[in-house]
Amino acid sequence: MIRRDFSERDIHMALDGELPVDERAAYGAWLDANPEMKARSARFTADREALRAAFAGVLDEPVPASLRKVVLGEAPARFAAPRSRWWLAAAAAVLLATGGFGGYFAGIDGIGQENSAEDQLAEQAIAAHVIYAAEQRHAVEVPASDKDHLQTWLSNRVGLKLVAPDLTANGFQLVGGRLLPAGESKAAMLLYEDDKGERISLFVTAESTASSKGTYASAQDGPQAVYWLDKGYGCAVVGSLPREQLAVVAKSAYGQLLAGLAS
Amino acid sequence: MDEKKAAILGEIPRLRRYARSLLRDRDSADDLVQDCLERALMRLDNWQTGESPRRWLFTIMHHLFIDQMRKVNRRGEAAMLPLEAGEAVAQPAEQLDGIASREIIDALQAISTDRRAALVMVAIEGFSYAEAANILGVPAGTLMSRIARGREELRGLLDDTARRRTIRIVEK
Repeated sequence: MIRRDFSERDIHMALDGELPVDERAAYGAWLDANPEMKARSARFTADREALRAAFAGVLDEPVPASLRKVVLGEAPARFAAPRSRWWLAAAAAVLLATGGFGGYFAGIDGIGQENSAEDQLAEQAIAAHVIYAAEQRHAVEVPASDKDHLQTWLSNRVGLKLVAPDLTANGFQLVGGRLLPAGESKAAMLLYEDDKGERISLFVTAESTASSKGTYASAQDGPQAVYWLDKGYGCAVVGSLPREQLAVVAKSAYGQLLAGLAS
Repeated sequence: MDEKKAAILGEIPRLRRYARSLLRDRDSADDLVQDCLERALMRLDNWQTGESPRRWLFTIMHHLFIDQMRKVNRRGEAAMLPLEAGEAVAQPAEQLDGIASREIIDALQAISTDRRAALVMVAIEGFSYAEAANILGVPAGTLMSRIARGREELRGLLDDTARRRTIRIVEK
């Protein structure tokens, strides 16, 4: 038998049954000699068992009649767009996870590290954008036609003097706004739309102790957030515009927000 | 009933389990399965003799899932959304027995889509690396790194949850 060096990669391969049979004995010896790796292997094994157990019941559930009918041809085939409803739950899950797990989000490569405040802000802003910018009739709670009330209401709830920026110079009109949870505090979301129906949103919270700025995207091809954090407030501008264009709009929005806060 | 349809029917429980692990919410998961079955039936002719029905169906469903997730992220297409947001906000899933299951299901939902799909494909559905890479349409090396990172991320989340619980107990 040729001895080779094992690594963490082999833990996954062994667990997934991909380790060649003739290497298994040597792998076992390597694990025994490396307690840290052995512990890691044991944790991954336990996680897998927990995962399997969590979903095992699904196989025993009776198949819903609606699904049987699709296959048996008893339901009229729908050639239109797919029902496309399930993915909303996926987007909602991001919001829930944001609340539930606090400092830990998808898309971060530094495994095991706490996410920073700006990642949290950006993730929450993106999750809100994904859900509400997609809404036609219920995108906002208070429409732009009631702008004074919108500004007063959100200012009171969030605890900042909020002035909805005028982005008409950038081609965007205010659609309206809504109040959202943001971690343990509240956030204001202001939604804008251009004449082609492209939407961007502003996400503002009064909770921040860090001070930084940057851009953030949670997924490839997904919307991006341009954010600013300072003592006492955080702001993110989210949209799927080309990066440079988003940066210009964001800068304009941020400048006006700041002026509003100080007024 | 012809053989192909019988084979598809037999795969529904597996498809439902995979959809549930991707989406958590039961109704949403079944909607995804229904989309998958409809597309499969429209493309029955593309199903080559000898190809495993499971692999064929999982590939279709995975493409549907990934396409829609991309569209969600791009927002433009989302206008087709027929429902009010409130209706689809995930309800507590029914299959949750016990805190351990709930925690791991929550954690699974919180890891990135690509990693979740790769991990579930191998760890729950039992596909080999080669099969899973084929279904997901990625090189085996990419699949492996997604699985490894997915596991790390999942563990990190579970540790995080456990720590929070400890803190809460201490605070009481």
